[in-house]
Amino acid sequence: MRLAMLSLMLVFACSRATTPPAGLVMALASEPQSLDPRFGTDANSARLADLLHAALTRSDATANRAPEIASAWRMPDPHTVVFTLRADFHFADGAPVTAADVKATYDAVRDPALASPKRASLAMVSGIETPDAATVVVRLSAPYAPFLDATGLGILPAGLARRPDEVVTGAGPFRLVRAVRGERLDLEPNPGYPSGPARLGPLAIRIVPDEVVRVLELRRGTLGFVQDAFEPEVLDWLRRRRELAVRQGPGTSVHYLAFNFRDRRLTDRRVRRAIALAIDRDQLVASVLGGAARPATGLLAPDHWAYGRGRVPAHDVRRAERLLDRAGYPDPDGDGPAPRFRLVYKTSSQPARRRLAEAIQAQLADVGIALDVRTYEWGTLYAQIRAGNFELCSLAWVGIGDPDLYFFAFHSTMRPPAGYNRGGYASPLMDRLTAEARVTTDLASRRALYARIQRVAARELPVLPLWWEDRVVVHTRRLEGFEPSADGSLHGLAQASLAPGT
Amino acid sequence: MLGAATIVFALLRAVPGDPVEIMLGESASPADVAALRRDLGLDGPPAAQYLAFLTRVARGDLGVSITYRAPVATVIASRYGATLELAGAAALVAVGFALPLGLLAASRPRSLADRLARLVSLLGACLPSFWLGPLLILVFSIELGWLPVSGRAGLDSVVLPALTLGLGMAGILVRLTRTTMLAALREDWIRTARAKGTPEWRVFALHALRNALPPVVTVAGLQAGGLLAGAIITETIFAWPGLGRLVVQAIDARDYPLVQGCVLAIAFTYLLMNTAADLLHRVLDPRLRDAS
Amino acid sequence: MPRSARGRLSARTGALVLLALCLVGFVAPLVAPADPLTTALHDRLRPPDASHLLGHDALGRDVLSRLLYGARVSFIVGVATLAISLVVGVTLGAAAGWAGGWLDEALVRLIDVFLAFPGLLLAIALAAVLGPSLANVVLALSLLGWPGYARLARAEVASLRRQEFVHAASALGARPLRIVVTHILPLALPTLLVQATFGMAGAIVAEASLSFLGLGVAPPTPSWGSMIAEGRTFLLVAPHVTLFPGLALAATVLALQLLGDGLRDALDVREGDGQRR
Repeated sequence: MRLAMLSLMLVFACSRATTPPAGLVMALASEPQSLDPRFGTDANSARLADLLHAALTRSDATANRAPEIASAWRMPDPHTVVFTLRADFHFADGAPVTAADVKATYDAVRDPALASPKRASLAMVSGIETPDAATVVVRLSAPYAPFLDATGLGILPAGLARRPDEVVTGAGPFRLVRAVRGERLDLEPNPGYPSGPARLGPLAIRIVPDEVVRVLELRRGTLGFVQDAFEPEVLDWLRRRRELAVRQGPGTSVHYLAFNFRDRRLTDRRVRRAIALAIDRDQLVASVLGGAARPATGLLAPDHWAYGRGRVPAHDVRRAERLLDRAGYPDPDGDGPAPRFRLVYKTSSQPARRRLAEAIQAQLADVGIALDVRTYEWGTLYAQIRAGNFELCSLAWVGIGDPDLYFFAFHSTMRPPAGYNRGGYASPLMDRLTAEARVTTDLASRRALYARIQRVAARELPVLPLWWEDRVVVHTRRLEGFEPSADGSLHGLAQASLAPGT
Repeated sequence: MLGAATIVFALLRAVPGDPVEIMLGESASPADVAALRRDLGLDGPPAAQYLAFLTRVARGDLGVSITYRAPVATVIASRYGATLELAGAAALVAVGFALPLGLLAASRPRSLADRLARLVSLLGACLPSFWLGPLLILVFSIELGWLPVSGRAGLDSVVLPALTLGLGMAGILVRLTRTTMLAALREDWIRTARAKGTPEWRVFALHALRNALPPVVTVAGLQAGGLLAGAIITETIFAWPGLGRLVVQAIDARDYPLVQGCVLAIAFTYLLMNTAADLLHRVLDPRLRDAS
Repeated sequence: MPRSARGRLSARTGALVLLALCLVGFVAPLVAPADPLTTALHDRLRPPDASHLLGHDALGRDVLSRLLYGARVSFIVGVATLAISLVVGVTLGAAAGWAGGWLDEALVRLIDVFLAFPGLLLAIALAAVLGPSLANVVLALSLLGWPGYARLARAEVASLRRQEFVHAASALGARPLRIVVTHILPLALPTLLVQATFGMAGAIVAEASLSFLGLGVAPPTPSWGSMIAEGRTFLLVAPHVTLFPGLALAATVLALQLLGDGLRDALDVREGDGQRR
């Protein structure tokens, strides 16, 4: 019996490749939703898209659009955008990228039969024409400034663009060699990439869900690249390893507290401001995050082109207490344990989120607000938030592109399922400003409008911004020429190379 | 099996969270959501869905996974081997540790072997796998450098996960083996055999062992279910691409067809293992054989 | 020393240790050196020193105090789960063992279904539906535990039912319920008790697993399981956070095992699946 099992195991072992490729090995915490740019909406899918696919435009460091396949574009009138394409992009199979491929991909995403989650972002497109192989003309049904954000869609070959199953052939710096679902992805440089194939060589991506194991693998040297949120002490420990390099820099993902405006207490601006005054963001960043973040004043990070300086109240317990008193919520027993009122705070069951919840709980207790922390598994939490079933909730925006996000997040008609206004915030002023900003195509005017929007948000506090989290990448010192980007894009790997060694 | 299918169906529908919404994200229009829901057959009343589900399963069609956009059967088949490998190796570890140790402990009561057996039994019970796993990695992978940290790469990458998963079962089996052997050794007819002059090792191996093994095998079969369930945590820690992790991911994404398929696969495996244990029991149990 | 005497010694040791731990949890508010809930972010992960014997956790809270309060949670989980699954399991099992026939068949099928379903999945699904809390953890674990006791009870009752004294009692006109409760169950008690001690150990460890998955008790309530799970991340830099609750868990399980083994030796109980010669 035992012999049988042993031989069975040997058979299993021999039937698989045993030597990993000699290149960079990267880890992801979870599997990307999809390698197909038409379907993947989560962050990991975006990371893979950075490597496997190319689009008309790319996001740059200021969240503006930079040329990629499209070398230039112009708007002859507010309803039309004309893109001029480069000739030197090729797909993984060698075929050049032409206007026909662009049109086929966009038409496929717009097709309701495909059920692509990105269809709504192209809702304003009324038609696409390709007068020649290097020109794409997009017609909009109405002037829509955020349209360019949607041009980050990876382009697929025309012949494959309509297929309902996963299509992975892209024009990015790397191409897929082998995919073992849930386990690893093997990539190699795309020979047809402009300015030559990436110098990095073979790139392997492993799925390693457990954070402790990821660190252990880095220590052992079997992993060479991890972009993640590390605990500060662990990061310090990693810094001491001589064979690893820790790259920490400003990031653009913003963590915030959402208020539910269906709650009588939270509709009172004084209560919201009191909560903002009670939370010591600097202390949270310093202690819970080890300084790996910047306290936030709004949703847009200072690097963003539309950033407008706003002022969120600094930590002041006395003022918070006075505001609560004036709002009609006196502290029943002074400094004693009885709270002014209780709020339900919902968050996901991740350890870092729980810790944040407990820290905030302690800070709010100082001003007499008792927090009822409830943690849920993500799917359940998501469902509850969308149904408006919460009072306070901690969330994050990862990768903000066009500031039109303010429309989806704060416009009164944008409650789920239509948009992201989970709290049900409604303000005629905010409605007017965000609606106007999305149809204004002049950059300077848009910037002025969004500056005003951010000032209003800082005053009204529809959400309480907490911090902008830093981007942290830990990689082997053998990796040279890699520049991390603030939005977490892995595109820098196209310019990197791996020095030989163990 | 029918029961398992029913339970999982009911449970999934009861859990909040809509797969279509999770799939399409927040920016999807209501029309898109409704269309996809129709496509996936999620728009009818639950009773109708249940019937449709049962008829499809009866025909061997497990449906199409929402997240993978591929037939559930294919997705499960690609991960099945990994889980079997892990479970098999863990069972091997458990039995390989437990049997010899238990036998040794029974033959030499209150000796070092006996104490060792009790120690193993204790460790197996009280060390949760998510604690033991990283500990083993620290020792064998980082400090000694003998074994890989995680993932499924070669024959040596199954060692640490199998140890982690198998130790729990080993703990229970050690105790069981020791007790049944002790009990078997005290039987009257063993004394008779000894009186007849049969050498001690024959008494031990042929007679006592034959009596002790059957209950051990039965319990091992029952515990196998625990192996499959415990594999969930071990697979997550060691990045082992098996069914356990797949199920958790599928639950997160509310991928109903995939979760249902996985649970059925696990239940089926459990049934197989139990039947195998039962058969083995019959083969090994001299009492049952003599009786027939 | 004969087995039964040695068994009594083990059992007593185990029981004493358990009682001590239980007591500790009980008097935690009086004994704990600090408030288990007060965070002190600047003291994050400090190793043990004179004033804080077991150091600080990731939010600067005193590990020793959290450990003491956590004893309560772990014990409540263990005892409550045990009580519920024991009562439900024994009732159903005894009923089926006595009645035989279709009731017995139905119960066996039901038990099989529950055992075939991966237990952890059930717990995950329940926690997702009901939300994490102490009550829900107990509920989920009880649902996992009752089939074990039901199976055992059924086997014991079924085999004892055929004994002479039962026929005698029946002939004398005693009602089935009375026979079961006053005559049969006391005989089945040893086996059940032994199983119960191991079951309780299992429940406490299972709570740790649930906490690992983020589905245990809600924050900021300390429980050994959630302390172990949260401290895991810092295994390399501050092992004391996860080590001490782990040791406490091990000590409790050891005590329970001693108790179980001792009881078995003392009461001369056979192991296995409840078969009796």
